[in-house]
Amino acid sequence: MLTHLMNASLMTLGLALTSLAIGLVLAILLCGAEMSRFALLRWPANALSTVLRGLPEILVVFFIYFGSTQILFLITDQYIEFSPFWCGVTALSLLFAAYSAQTLRGALNAVDKGQRQAAQALGLPALYTFMHITLPQMWRHALPGLGNQWLVLLKDTALVSLIGVHDLMYQAKAVASRTYEPFTWYGIAALIYLVITVVSQQGLQRLRTRVTRYD
Amino acid sequence: MTDWLFSNSAGMPDWFGYLPTLLQGVNITLQITGAGLLLGLVIALSLTWVLERRIPVLAQLTEGYLLLLTGTPLLVQIFLIYYGPAQFDWIKNSWAWTYLREPMFCAILALGMNAGAYTCRLFKGALEAVPKGETLACQALGMNNWQTLSVKLRHAMRRVIPAYSNEVVLVLKGSSLASTISIMEIMGLAQRLNGQTYDTLAIFGLAGAIYLLLNGLLTLAFRRLEKRALQFQTQQ
Repeated sequence: MLTHLMNASLMTLGLALTSLAIGLVLAILLCGAEMSRFALLRWPANALSTVLRGLPEILVVFFIYFGSTQILFLITDQYIEFSPFWCGVTALSLLFAAYSAQTLRGALNAVDKGQRQAAQALGLPALYTFMHITLPQMWRHALPGLGNQWLVLLKDTALVSLIGVHDLMYQAKAVASRTYEPFTWYGIAALIYLVITVVSQQGLQRLRTRVTRYD
Repeated sequence: MTDWLFSNSAGMPDWFGYLPTLLQGVNITLQITGAGLLLGLVIALSLTWVLERRIPVLAQLTEGYLLLLTGTPLLVQIFLIYYGPAQFDWIKNSWAWTYLREPMFCAILALGMNAGAYTCRLFKGALEAVPKGETLACQALGMNNWQTLSVKLRHAMRRVIPAYSNEVVLVLKGSSLASTISIMEIMGLAQRLNGQTYDTLAIFGLAGAIYLLLNGLLTLAFRRLEKRALQFQTQQ
């Protein structure tokens, strides 16, 4: 039973890490669009992140899981089901991106303007300035916010069990109903989530001391 | 291709037919949210008090409570509270069982305990942000611990409103998880409709719109409250 839960924990971690990677990319894109000069980019990006932040997470997960099937059905007249895992990843990474884009925007604004102007004055190209001067300084400001978002994401992965991804929550439910010991098994699942959270917090703390070592 | 949009003869989108059903859930959603927030507020205030006064054993227990409740998913907490007690016969035979077998009670309890933990963190942060000079001033005026705390609390309360409004939105969103233990609030009704018709986009779209509207109204209300509470700052 415990090995089941251990494998399921790996699934949860994989789900969270995949969503984190995709979510970060989406967050950067979303942040870029929100800060863009073109209203045509700014508007939809703002609307998307406002809507995503106002919806219950469970609704976003269901909407993407059942909705993707319906859209495909309307287009192709065939009943195709997407893998719950990737639907879950899509939902979680979108949610992560919606919140993190705000953090990134704040962090970018927190980098002193003088840094960019100095780079300009030195004749450095714009992309080089962004990659080597603005970005490294931005992470420092973004890290606390992103760390919190990671912890939220970790907890949100539990929702994906409801669309049938065999994650920690799903296995806990299965074992609990098989053994008639719901308290024990949900309790163990809770403790595993707690361990992952605490380990993440420790890791984030170390990362934070590392990025702020020059302050 | 577009017949799914306009399926009845009047030309009205058929999916507005789902609206009355979904709106029936608003009441329960608001009940769970309101009760959960109230319970959360009571828990948060007592825990903040315990942490602030540094009461020996209770303060450590409170730290454990905060870690447990903020470190695990709300869904696990709801399941633990709703399904968990059935494992023990002595709970089943006790008076508590009449409450613990009610999904509504469990949802509110779980949501309230969860909100309590997060809100306590908020309050703690707000209290720590109160300038040290204010505490010193209170002490210089000869106030006792209790009076000093009440002054700090009143200061912190005003500052905490914006962060608390986020918490309210989180609780409203969290109330949708009550649908997993068979409560027919907005999300529960949406899932049932979806199971009957598979008209996912329309149903979850409408349910989402309702949630967005509720969240928008709550945020607006809190923004007005914030303006009033912090009015003294802007007046010169």
